[in-house]
Amino acid sequence: MFEPRSQRSQLRDEITSLLLRGGLIGLAAFAVALSFIVVPRLLGQIYPTAQEQTGFRGTGMLRIEFEADLAELGAVNQLPDDWMGGPIPPEPGEELAGDIYENVQVLGHLTDYNFNRLMLAITEWVGQDEGCAYCHGDTGEFASDDIYSKVVARRMIEMTWAINEDWGAHVQETGVTCYTCHRGNQVPEYIWFLPEPNSRWAGSAARYQNLARPAQNMTSNYSTSLPVDALQVYLLEDRQPVAIHGLSALDQEGISNASIYHTYQTYNLMMHFSSALGTNCTYCHNTRSLPVVEGLTPQWANAQIGRQMVLDVNNEHIVPTTEFLPAHRLGPLGDAAKVNCTTCHRGVVQPLGGQSMLPDWPELASRDPIYAVGAPE
Amino acid sequence: MAMLSFEKKYRVRGGTLIGGDLFDFWVGPFYVGFFGVSTLFFALLGTVLIFWGAAIQGEWNPWLINIAPPDISYGLSIAPLREGGLWQLITVAAHGAFISWALRQVEISRKLGIGYHVPVAFSFAILAYSTLVVFRPMLLGAWGHGFPYGIFSHLDWVSNVGYQYLHFHYNPAHMLAVTFFFTTTLALSLHGGLVLSAVNPRRGNEVLTPEHEDTYFRDFIGYSVGTLGIHRLGLLLALNAGFWSAVCIIISGPVWTRGWPEWWNWWLELPIWGTLAHG
Amino acid sequence: MAEYQNIFTQVQVRGPAEMGTMGSGAELGRVGEPFFSRFLGWIGNAQVGPIYVGSWGFISLITGTIWFVMVGINMLATVDYNFALFLQQLFWLSLEPPGPQYGLSFPPLNDGGWFLIASFFLLVAVLTWWLRCYRRARDLNMGMHVPWAFAAAIWLFLVLGLFRPILMGSWSEAVPYGIFPHLDWTTAFSLRYGNLFYNPFHALSITFLYGSVLLFAMHGATVLAISRFGGDREIEQILDRGTAYERGGLFWRWTMGFNASAEGIHRWIWWFAILTPITGGIGILLTGTVVDNWYLWAVEHRFAPEYPPMFGAGEYGTSIELPGVATGTGD
Repeated sequence: MFEPRSQRSQLRDEITSLLLRGGLIGLAAFAVALSFIVVPRLLGQIYPTAQEQTGFRGTGMLRIEFEADLAELGAVNQLPDDWMGGPIPPEPGEELAGDIYENVQVLGHLTDYNFNRLMLAITEWVGQDEGCAYCHGDTGEFASDDIYSKVVARRMIEMTWAINEDWGAHVQETGVTCYTCHRGNQVPEYIWFLPEPNSRWAGSAARYQNLARPAQNMTSNYSTSLPVDALQVYLLEDRQPVAIHGLSALDQEGISNASIYHTYQTYNLMMHFSSALGTNCTYCHNTRSLPVVEGLTPQWANAQIGRQMVLDVNNEHIVPTTEFLPAHRLGPLGDAAKVNCTTCHRGVVQPLGGQSMLPDWPELASRDPIYAVGAPE
Repeated sequence: MAMLSFEKKYRVRGGTLIGGDLFDFWVGPFYVGFFGVSTLFFALLGTVLIFWGAAIQGEWNPWLINIAPPDISYGLSIAPLREGGLWQLITVAAHGAFISWALRQVEISRKLGIGYHVPVAFSFAILAYSTLVVFRPMLLGAWGHGFPYGIFSHLDWVSNVGYQYLHFHYNPAHMLAVTFFFTTTLALSLHGGLVLSAVNPRRGNEVLTPEHEDTYFRDFIGYSVGTLGIHRLGLLLALNAGFWSAVCIIISGPVWTRGWPEWWNWWLELPIWGTLAHG
Repeated sequence: MAEYQNIFTQVQVRGPAEMGTMGSGAELGRVGEPFFSRFLGWIGNAQVGPIYVGSWGFISLITGTIWFVMVGINMLATVDYNFALFLQQLFWLSLEPPGPQYGLSFPPLNDGGWFLIASFFLLVAVLTWWLRCYRRARDLNMGMHVPWAFAAAIWLFLVLGLFRPILMGSWSEAVPYGIFPHLDWTTAFSLRYGNLFYNPFHALSITFLYGSVLLFAMHGATVLAISRFGGDREIEQILDRGTAYERGGLFWRWTMGFNASAEGIHRWIWWFAILTPITGGIGILLTGTVVDNWYLWAVEHRFAPEYPPMFGAGEYGTSIELPGVATGTGD
């Protein structure tokens, strides 16, 4: 039945087979070794990324950004041209704007030069399309308070002082100016109004959720199905605590009565924080336990203060302007445009990449500006 | 003895991929082979390294032992042992052990004259593991993207990596993977239940046949995939669960860095909607 | 070297359709003309149908359809009956449970009332479908393994939608009926109750889920690998073990030192599969009712790892900076 094979051909077969198998196995082993050592260097990244680690190695507390996205953000976060040099410190006894011009209520303490310099800058930052006329009209009546935008601008200058003076814990040395939010627009691009309910029909549970509202919407759920009333609840009314957890395992003390819906609202606020800053949840939390101190980064504290600042800005400075605003500046429910984190941050951790404009604009840092001696060069 | 009554006639020489007759023997019930030796070597090496890591950590509670990968700042270079180097060595050892195990399954399949389905299936599991600790870290340029070796620490990693993308459930490949996991388990319960209910019929009845199995499922849902088909279906479902798991993580970071819900904007922005508002 | 590896059915044989076993009236109630699908035939049987309806099946289909339509109409109402918007938002739309202010009382129809009514119909549909599953097994003289496995899944369903909301004293804890909304619910549930990963029953459930997938891959692959010896004829192999299951058993014995029998493997897989929803249901039932924060519970029971207290990008020297933006240009 079996054909006896010559010893030679048998040997040849075995050697061939051995070489074949050995070669294959060797190749596989080589490929594995290669993949560990060489390939990482050659492969590179599909899209180059920048990364930052925010917690202990292996916890996955990380942020990954495409360099292309960062380049775009870098391009739109440049300071406006420094087209006027710095302010000129007032000489003793120099005549002030309040003495020279009529009805200068909040900036009367500046010198004529510094006052006009600021007026021109605000025109550039805020009223670009209409120039001085945006606030002062085209009748030459600069003292008139007939135009709402001028009245509001006063409140906004006071707000800028308040932010820089009272909220240093959040805005740090960098501070804010009109440009931080306005970026050349009469109304900042990223503002929000009270959201309209989904439908006339919907009851409380479905009034604000279950429709995708991508980030370009003023009140967004970032394309999830979450409710969009988080900004109203947490950045205007401060209606309920952001924290949703009980602070004990078995719920005996530190009891939390947060419902699932309340949790949705908090989740949406967190998505707002993340998207506004271009970060993610792990920038502030080790998400394995959101409320536990051992899992919080220093940025978490900054966000807490930020929320309080936004509450203060909206309630003390923005909402009171509602009475001055014309209908076309109001939202569908008749409310003024309010700020949220995106208004300043616009997708980056530090507005304008952390560049400060205050050294050039001490008049906006404080009601009592401190001029650098010797500046400008 | 370690040998079953019918086992002796199956214990024949040959079928090895490498090493010829050298390791072609059994120890107790275990087949050895070259890859048995290499599996043992890598498995022991990895285990010893894990114990070493535990000693460095000073933690012997098995729930808490944590062998973490290096910091991101090490990139794709080799880290000091105490700062992620151990993790790198253990990862190499794990690959050595897993790949050896698969090749040993090939040798055993050859020896028994059966198909290669099991090692092929196992290679999907290896692929999923390698995706997590080799391919994705490579694509992101840092070993620090691998998951840590620890029972609960790896869950913390899962949590944080999920929240890097704000809401990981919106990852379409993750949706597919989870669906395959659930469907596989559903199909598994139905298959196990059907076979058991045919060979353990109602009291007083004789053992039933595949015709009864088919009848039950056709009556139940209008279709019975059949005795061979259920094993194909189960294998396909299970492999897809592993495959899509690998896909859902390898796209997170290398090709998508934003929140996963936002990925669905393509659907919301399709031109067919015309002037529909986004809600 | 080239050997046949059983992947797809390459030659499909067509005979007359199987109409199912007959006897003692069990064949009554089968409806539909069987047809053959070439596509299905690649994987398994090509024949589709007939199907048994029966009175319980009829009730189940009707109530299930009512639930489905009720959910759909509620979704439509959410978009003010704009059908295009309904299609665009379909995955996001939902029929939501009542708000927390209603507790276990019956809320207004547009604020969870429809949800409770729809849930009732879904409950009837699922339970009657189980009865149908049970009675079919009984009428065909089969064991009760499939109905019991189905009951395990119903346990999880009842925990999520009935038992736990009642224990929590609020229907608002129930899961919404929507594609993405139920995913939001899942995450919110984990966030609210301190991370489900630290719930030991959740961990067990996931273990059984992954274990089930592993077992099906192992079992399916083994049977396909031994199919050339008739491995797929499992009932015969159970009663009278042949070379197929001898080889299959030895494969695992030689690989990992242990093997199941032809019947035993089906007991393993049945238990793994049903323990997935059983343990999962226990985990859900304990959440919020007994344990409010799983992470803190883990800390108390010493199974939450500790990490060095180093946080923030500055700690690791990997800050992301914007290209072309010089930070700190205060000077």
